[in-house]
Amino acid sequence: MPLQALRTVARSQNGVGAFILQCKRLDFHYCDWAGSSKGMNSFLQSHLPAFAASNPQIEITVSPRPRKHPVIKGTYINGREKAVCVRNMEVKEILAKAELLRDANGEKLRKAKKPVKSANESVRGIWDPFHGANWSI
Amino acid sequence: MLTRTIKRSVLEQLWASPLPPIFLLPLRASITTVSHTTSAPAIPEALTNSATQPSDSQTASPRVSQQPDVSSYQPISHSSLESIPKLPTPTSHDPSTPTTPLSDSIRELLPLLRAQSPHYITAHIHARPYLVTQGDTLRLPFLMRDVSPGDVLRLNRASLLGSRDYTLRAAAPAPVAMPVHHSPLRAKGGTLPNLAERGGYLDERLFVCRAVVMGTEAEPMRVMEKTKRRQRHVKTVRSKLRFTVLKIKEVRVRSLEEIESGEEE
Repeated sequence: MPLQALRTVARSQNGVGAFILQCKRLDFHYCDWAGSSKGMNSFLQSHLPAFAASNPQIEITVSPRPRKHPVIKGTYINGREKAVCVRNMEVKEILAKAELLRDANGEKLRKAKKPVKSANESVRGIWDPFHGANWSI
Repeated sequence: MLTRTIKRSVLEQLWASPLPPIFLLPLRASITTVSHTTSAPAIPEALTNSATQPSDSQTASPRVSQQPDVSSYQPISHSSLESIPKLPTPTSHDPSTPTTPLSDSIRELLPLLRAQSPHYITAHIHARPYLVTQGDTLRLPFLMRDVSPGDVLRLNRASLLGSRDYTLRAAAPAPVAMPVHHSPLRAKGGTLPNLAERGGYLDERLFVCRAVVMGTEAEPMRVMEKTKRRQRHVKTVRSKLRFTVLKIKEVRVRSLEEIESGEEE
């Protein structure tokens, strides 16, 4: 038996058994007075109830943020936060930003070279010249 | 004398930890997320004499029947939080699922492949191969339309399916008769038959590969500066691509009984 590392804590594999949406909370901040919140205020009145009803997994809070630009903040199950400033945006644009935050996973954006990320050992093992078939030269 | 007894009692208390005795602790420590139990009969002969007969360890699949490659994934369900023991059948299944009988080599060797876990599979999405195992994260190089997080996709195009000692490889695709003076890039209007039509994939009855849509990822904003000669103006082009992230939920080889009974999953 080859040398093995010590047993570690089991990693979570979201999606292999049950699936949990990675966005757990969305905070909508608005200002009653400022003009940059105009789109946000109408979004809160017209679109937010339907958005919240179609995404029951997400906790949604609405709170004022006076004298500031409107912001949507997402909190993710990996502990990170993502905030998007939605000043001067139309209702449609704000909805797109809310859906972006819903689908995101909270990780930092980085350029990925390889499409597959795996935590498993290699299935076929590492090649070894002293085992397996004996090549005769 | 007294100090020795005190020491011993302290040591005994230390050792009476909640851990079980040492012989009950797991012998094999491992980081892997999948158990590596090999229930296949010992080491197959294919491993020891694969140099002499390389074709023995690789069984050829029966010909996959002619199917239009509409898409390599089929949305199954929108399961969010509830864990369903058995997923429902795909809503839109190819009407031309192959019904050809299994070949003898498959009938003989598929149970051996099935008995040895874990498995890997080279699944194809839009004709691109991805070698995955169960639990892998797959970031597609494109944004998939009409899916939302939590959707389960059935990947039904694969060219390789294997375990540690066995590999099931798809039959070689039929060659394309192409005029010499045409490069394939310049052929227009889909005149070339794709890989599915040429029979280059595994029979989709033999395996089950499912993936969950985890969400959407983006790359950092790309900024490219465009300049012209003898002109001070610099145009900045910004782009940011988005990608769909899948998690491989299930990679399974189906048993002969399941395949023969014709039940679908």
